Parts: sequence; C-alpha cells; structure tokens
Amino acid sequence: MAEAGTQHFVCIGCPMGCPLQLVHEGSEIREVSGYECNRGAKYARQEFTEPRRGLSTTVRISGARWDRLPVKVAGQVHKGRILEAARAIHALRVEAPVRCGQVLLKDLLGEKGLDVVATRSMERAASKASS
Amino acid sequence: MLGRLEKKYDVVVVGGGPAGMGAALGARDSGAGRVLILDREPDPGGILLQCVHSGFGLHYFKEELSGPEYAERFLAKVVDRDVDVVPDSYVSGIAVDSDGSKRVRLMGAAHGIRTIQARSVVLAMGCRERTRGAIRIPGTRPSGVLTAGLAQKLVNMKGVLPGRRVVILGSGDIGLIMARRLTLEGCEVLGVFEIMPYSNGLTRNVVQCLEDFGIPLQLSTTVAYIHGRERVEKVTVAPLGPGFKPEMSKARDIPCDTLLLSIGLIPENELSQSLGIELDRITGGPEVSSTLETSMPGVYACGNVLHVHDLVDFVTNESLLAGRFAGERAQGIRRPADNIHLVPGDNVRYCVPHTLSPEREHTIYMRSKKAMKPCVLRVGNLLEKKLRFVVPAEMIMLKIKPDLLERFQGDSLRIDIHEESGGEEPHG
Repeated sequence: MAEAGTQHFVCIGCPMGCPLQLVHEGSEIREVSGYECNRGAKYARQEFTEPRRGLSTTVRISGARWDRLPVKVAGQVHKGRILEAARAIHALRVEAPVRCGQVLLKDLLGEKGLDVVATRSMERAASKASS
Repeated sequence: MLGRLEKKYDVVVVGGGPAGMGAALGARDSGAGRVLILDREPDPGGILLQCVHSGFGLHYFKEELSGPEYAERFLAKVVDRDVDVVPDSYVSGIAVDSDGSKRVRLMGAAHGIRTIQARSVVLAMGCRERTRGAIRIPGTRPSGVLTAGLAQKLVNMKGVLPGRRVVILGSGDIGLIMARRLTLEGCEVLGVFEIMPYSNGLTRNVVQCLEDFGIPLQLSTTVAYIHGRERVEKVTVAPLGPGFKPEMSKARDIPCDTLLLSIGLIPENELSQSLGIELDRITGGPEVSSTLETSMPGVYACGNVLHVHDLVDFVTNESLLAGRFAGERAQGIRRPADNIHLVPGDNVRYCVPHTLSPEREHTIYMRSKKAMKPCVLRVGNLLEKKLRFVVPAEMIMLKIKPDLLERFQGDSLRIDIHEESGGEEPHG
C-alpha cells in the first residue's frame, strides 16, 4: 500500500489564510479540511499535485508618463518556473498607448493560454511624471 | 469629468486614492449633484497604482485584481457618475465660514491658485510611511536606507532599483510584498527582520512572498546598527532581549547595499490639524461619529487618513459610507446625533467610529493589542462573538444591528477581547 501522510498548507486565496490539512496515500488525495470556502479546497489539491502561483510584475514602456507598465499573467505559473517567467516578461518592451487587459505576450514559457496582459492603461504623454 | 473644475460643489473630496474615489461615489449615490476629487499626483488612484501585485477587490469586485486594475475600474465608475476629478492639484488649506460652508484652497499646474466653495468636505489623504528617524536606528547615515513603499514606487513606476543586496526591517505587508518584488527583479533579499515575535503582515504574504522564494523571516530581531560611508555597506542585526533591547553579544553583520524599512504607517493629518479637528492619539486619525464626520461639522474622513487599513476593500466600504453622509449633509439632511460612546477595553487598541447611534446598522473596525486564540469579543453585555484568533496586524470588523442598540440604556459601550477559556471576568 502507498505511504499515507498529512500535509499542511496555509491558503493564499484570500487574506483569511485558512490553515489547510490534506490527507493522502501516496499521490492519492483522501481528504482536505480546514478551509472556509472552495478556494481553499482547490488550493490544497493544487498545492499537493502541482503548485502554481499568480505572477505580477512590470515591463518597460516608452512614450508614457511612467517608465514601467504593470502586467500580470492571465493564469498561473509553475511555482518552480516563476523566476524564469519573470525574466521572460522583463525582456518585453512596449510603446504607449496601451489599454488595460491588452495581451502583450502570448503563451508564456510555451504554455498555451498563459498570456501576459497589461493591468493599466497608459496614454501617450509628452512628458514624464516629476513626482 | 477628468480635469473639469467649477467654482462650487456639494462635496469636495481631498485625495484621489481608493478612499477618495469611494467617497465621491458614495456622495453621488446619496443624490449630491456636484462632486469634486482633488489629487496631488498626476494620475488619480493613489498608492494602488504602485501596488502591481494582485489581491485587491475580492470583496468589492468579487475577483482578484492588481492595484492598478482596481484603481482604473473605480476611476471609470467615478467619471461615469459625472464626478469631476482634478489631478496635479494640491490642497493647501480649508477654511470654514460662519454659516458652515467651506472654502477649499488648491494649487495646481492647470488651474493656478483657486478657491472652491464646498458644502461638505471629505478628507481622504491617506497615510505616509514611518522612517528611520521614527525608530532611531544607530549608525552612519549613508544612502540606501529607504522606506518600502518608496522603493515600491521607484521599482514599479519609475523602473529604478534601490540596490542589489537588500535587507528588510519590519514584516508589514509592504515589506513582504517588496521582498518578492525585488527578488523577481533579480535582487538578492537577504532576510526580513521583525522586532515582534509574530509577523505583522498577512500569513498568506509570508507564504507567497517569503517561503516561496526561500527568504528568511527572523522574528524578535532588529537592525541594531547601519554601517557605510557613502552607501550602506552592512547592517548589524541582533535578537531582542528583555525590554526589547538588542542582545549585542548575539549580533551578526550582514553585508548589503540597501535597507528597506516597513515599520508602519502614519495617517497624514496636517490638513485636519490646521482645521482644528480632534485626533485620536492611538489611530493618529480624526475622531469620527458613526457618520464618519469629524469634530468639524460637515468635514468627514475615511480610509487610511482615518486609521490604517489592511485591505482596500474595507477602505472602499468605509469611504462609500463617508461619501454618502457627506452628500446627505450637503443636501440639508441631518441625522440625529450619536448618543453612545465606544470605549476600547481589554485587548482592544482602538475602535472606529468613536460613537454610535441606535438609528441604523454599524460596522465597527478595531484592532487588538496582542495576539490571542481562540477568543471572545464582547460588546458591553449586548453581543458576544467567538473569533478563531486575533492579531494586531489584522483588523477586526464587527457589524452591529440597530435592534441591538435600541435596547441599550447607557451612554457608553465597552468592547473587550478575552481568551475563550480565560479566567478574566467579562465586563458588563
């Protein structure tokens, strides 16, 4: 029989931070407890089988009031590939104007649907912000 | 409309962050016709614009947004409701006339120096960061020592890294978020040090910002000395002994070029003080009634200028309410004065608002003095609520229904938090 065990996680789905327990036998999940909502149940399962994280960062933008445009990955990145994903995103260069939600890079790290999108609209600006 | 500035408004809101935008929306919802937001930055949105990480809006928008997304959505709502928003305008003073009407003086690139008439004013200036001077770290005064929020703005908006090898003092959420942010940008974050025996940030941020990246969090530890002539060269960290004194015999040096401070926020109330508004010594913000009105009639406060919040969604809820009451007042609607004082009791550092009225439902925001689990929160002898845990870093929110207060005879209500099994006697 596969080895049984319990893993403990803290849910990162919302600020409540529910303490989660996951009972498993080998790679098979037997029971998840400790969550107050479904996000927690889902998170524990995901964390046990294949941990993933959301990723937000910035990219260089020219022609805007600011020098950086905030972006996020639509979907979640393998936890072990976060830094690699960040480096790939940081290689991007964009030009104002940009609309919030605009896709700047498709299929990050070759993963279908893992798009990098702008999280802010930036108009073309004649001058930089002074503050 | 963005950029439009008239001479007279029902409600003028000082500050265009989440609190100011929420207040403006609340004022419009109440029926106030002319509402203006003044903001000193070139883009409205406040600190949300530099918070590029996600985690905002789960309550209000029912989805997880980044700071700039939250700001942009909210600004769109505000402009859509025909609120005037004037960025790049600094409010230098507010005067109250004998008839109670207000004059707001502003300076701005687009409009010069102007005075605007307002029936009600909402203060939504937010807060600023505590600096090295507030905790008097010994050592030299090199460059490379800066607050975490300033570093956040430099990195996320200006594209400037504060340094390469970074030590962070204080485990507030901004410090934790910046530990991850700088790691993503290729910096080496050598550790987060916290004087308290627990983290001051949300547990989920300890997990996803530190543990995920193997960044050590050392509790009950402080930065005891800063070294370096022109630039930070190293810091000395030491565990704290009795009386929060660093134990120098156990100290060690960490070579680094940057020290970020995430050691707390102070509500920015110079404008409130110039109006003679009464401030709460604990929160650093105005004392407010249940309509979020300050001691100056017709002047309201909400968001981090009132008390420092953990979650923007709570700021939004509070601000919608402040705006609503400011808008009502501007239309001549007067609510009965509050007749119940809230008194922070055992393990309660503060409560906001400071007074209540049996007239309607209330949301009370409070913080505990120390961590406890599990525990019971008692509101006089009217209400008991069991809590899984309390920690000073997480605000406690309590809804009170009007029928509960109708039965209440006294003029002050004490709020206490006790250990569930604890021996302390409840106060009546």
